[in-house]
Amino acid sequence: MSAVEFHEATLANGLKVIAEVNPEAKSAAAGYFVRTGSRDEVAGEEGISHFLEHMVFKGTERRSAWDVNREFDEMGAKYNAFTNEEMTVFYGAVLPEFLPRLLDLLTDLMQPALRPEDFESERKVVLEEIALYRDRPDAVLFERAQRRYFGMHPLAKPVLGTPESIAKMQVGQMRAYHQRRYVPGNMILAFAGNLVWEEILLLAEAMTANWARGEAVRNHPPFKPRPGLERDPFDKASQLYTTFMSPGYSARREERYMARVLAEILGDADNGRLFWRLVDAGLAESAMAFHHEFDDLGVFYVYIQGDPTNEEAVSEAVMTELQGLQSGGITSEELERAKLKAATSLVFAGETTLSRLFYLGVNYSYTNRYEPLNAVRRWLLHLETYHFDEVLEEKPFAETLEYRLVPAG
Amino acid sequence: METLENGLRVVVENQPWNPGLSFTLLVPVGAVNDPPDRLGAASMLETWLWKGAGVRDAKAFANALDSLGVSRASGTGIEYTTFSASLLPEGLPATMELYSDLISRPHLPDDAFESVRSLALQELAAIEDQPARKLMKKLRREAFTSAHGQPVEGEKETILSMTPAALRAEYARRYGPGGSVLAVAGGVKPDNVYRLAEEYFGSWSGAVSGEVPVRLSSPHRFHLQQETEQVQIGLFYKDVPPGDYDFYAARLAASILSGGMSSRLFTEVREKRGLVYSVSASPGSVKGFGYLLAHAGTTPSNAQETLDVVRRVIEGLREGVTRAELDRAKIGLRADLVLAGESSRARSASLARDVFILGKPRSLEEIEAEVMDVTLDRIDLFLSRHAYENPWVGTLGPVEVV
Repeated sequence: MSAVEFHEATLANGLKVIAEVNPEAKSAAAGYFVRTGSRDEVAGEEGISHFLEHMVFKGTERRSAWDVNREFDEMGAKYNAFTNEEMTVFYGAVLPEFLPRLLDLLTDLMQPALRPEDFESERKVVLEEIALYRDRPDAVLFERAQRRYFGMHPLAKPVLGTPESIAKMQVGQMRAYHQRRYVPGNMILAFAGNLVWEEILLLAEAMTANWARGEAVRNHPPFKPRPGLERDPFDKASQLYTTFMSPGYSARREERYMARVLAEILGDADNGRLFWRLVDAGLAESAMAFHHEFDDLGVFYVYIQGDPTNEEAVSEAVMTELQGLQSGGITSEELERAKLKAATSLVFAGETTLSRLFYLGVNYSYTNRYEPLNAVRRWLLHLETYHFDEVLEEKPFAETLEYRLVPAG
Repeated sequence: METLENGLRVVVENQPWNPGLSFTLLVPVGAVNDPPDRLGAASMLETWLWKGAGVRDAKAFANALDSLGVSRASGTGIEYTTFSASLLPEGLPATMELYSDLISRPHLPDDAFESVRSLALQELAAIEDQPARKLMKKLRREAFTSAHGQPVEGEKETILSMTPAALRAEYARRYGPGGSVLAVAGGVKPDNVYRLAEEYFGSWSGAVSGEVPVRLSSPHRFHLQQETEQVQIGLFYKDVPPGDYDFYAARLAASILSGGMSSRLFTEVREKRGLVYSVSASPGSVKGFGYLLAHAGTTPSNAQETLDVVRRVIEGLREGVTRAELDRAKIGLRADLVLAGESSRARSASLARDVFILGKPRSLEEIEAEVMDVTLDRIDLFLSRHAYENPWVGTLGPVEVV
């Protein structure tokens, strides 16, 4: 771990390149982190960020879709992409000798051909993906709860879009979206693992030399949480699926670490307060809490799954725990355990090259700075109970939305 | 690997660069040795064990592990239950002592039993909301006539009729060091682990369940009617067991079918035809028997074509593979091994499984050498002799596909 070194540079075209180099690693990983997602879509574009993520793999001027798939596999790469509300990420991990080739492929993919015939066949695949999630009550719950909680805020939009928006989408819209969002000033190229910084930087520079400079903006409309209770019967649910959403802290705020520790104390899967109250008591099959950070705000989530006959008891128990945490705070014993556990899990987050790449790329995309895992770990271990006073004094759980997906009929 | 006097096998892989370590404790307690009137017992026991052990009640036990920074998991499968931990090396002795309490000195308290039962019922009910999982569970049940087809989650009747005494009897009958494995990977010296294992697990005693031979039904089709958006399609093919001469040829064949995005299934079903979002074929095994499980999910109007194409692609393996395909599959498996070698969690789980299934651990180098040894002639000869054909076929959804 001691051998890890961080490097960063900004290319002439505005692309930020960062790397966490570990000469002892046996693999190397690279990824493009594009600051774009469903929240950046305008009317008529619902789902276009995710659809574009699919289309990126359908080839470029130099490569057909088959070439792309074949070349990744010829390197033995572990590769994929994901899209969420705020980010689209393309990544791969390879044996170190393949890193230049991986970089060439990923870089080429950032300028996709978007051929109409590929667009039509991939439209069908995206519609299948939407159908897949519509059979999963847990996915339906989060999509609907998020829409209700965020209201008119752009974070309310479903990442995959809707069958209707995807059916209507035109390849021209996607070209325009790509031109607007996939610009060097809105992307980060990140590396992790076994590589030589000077060499990879020169390659990145040469491979992106023809990229035109550009910046993209994101709207940050004000947000007011929309608390309340929704009870939503769903014909594909036989169990109760409930989430509680409360205001938290953005990915750029230091308080997010305190918020994560609070979520851990509340909803750790093995030893959180909700576990003892609900799972150990047999009231619910699972009960957990986590803190999710977006660009300009954060959300405390509680998630409960279990027997629908316990619906009211579950609701009351969670509300009691949220109030108790808010007014009573945490004990020093709870804090000691939670921070030690969080600190240890950071050691494991640093085990693999790919998990280091995600940590590095996502964190940097939001904060524009490098936070070594070790430093975060040390910082966590120094937290005392009074550090949580300010966070709790803001009374995050006073504005909670409870959203229940219940069996229909 | 060392075997303690009581029969517990201990295996260690040192990762000198790793600041952390993980271990997996595997006990041969799974659905396969649940008595027919006590289906779900192995899974319920796994939950009950965490409700207090040694000198600690459930809460004190969880607090003790948290105070060591241990992240833990446990799970029950067809043939075994695993208890795993990831932690920093200085916490290893105390954590091993706690896990020793967990499996050899559990309280199995009466007052926690109803909550264990309630969790088991909820877990069973939740499968109804997971169409793919529900289908694959039924597919296993249809294919095996031996106890390998028994549901890990049990059945409503057997969970409702379970008693604390019956479950304690299952614990006494099945938990013991014989057949169990302790596998450790990470920044730790093997001698140190052997010494600690002897200290904390050396006095563990208990019975071992006998092995259950695999029996299969005749291949057939079935359908589960359910109002879903997508039709789930599952296929079960006989494959080569671990330890067989052709095992690695079969692994490479599976990778050619469903490894990366240039694999045959992805190319034919998704890329060329846009029929699905997800399609896969993955090898699985129980002791002495291997199988290949294929799965696809698609909307009803595509279901028939999807099933036909998936079968044609898998059964077309008998014509052999190309050199380029074999090369891609080999480099893909090699990279998998390197990446798996970075994770102490993944390695400790694989080592435990190896010892359980094969009786010995396989090093990453050994697996790589075996994979590289498979030539084009060898895999083609294997595919011409071992036909992937005549599968068990299951579907779930609003329409039946034939």
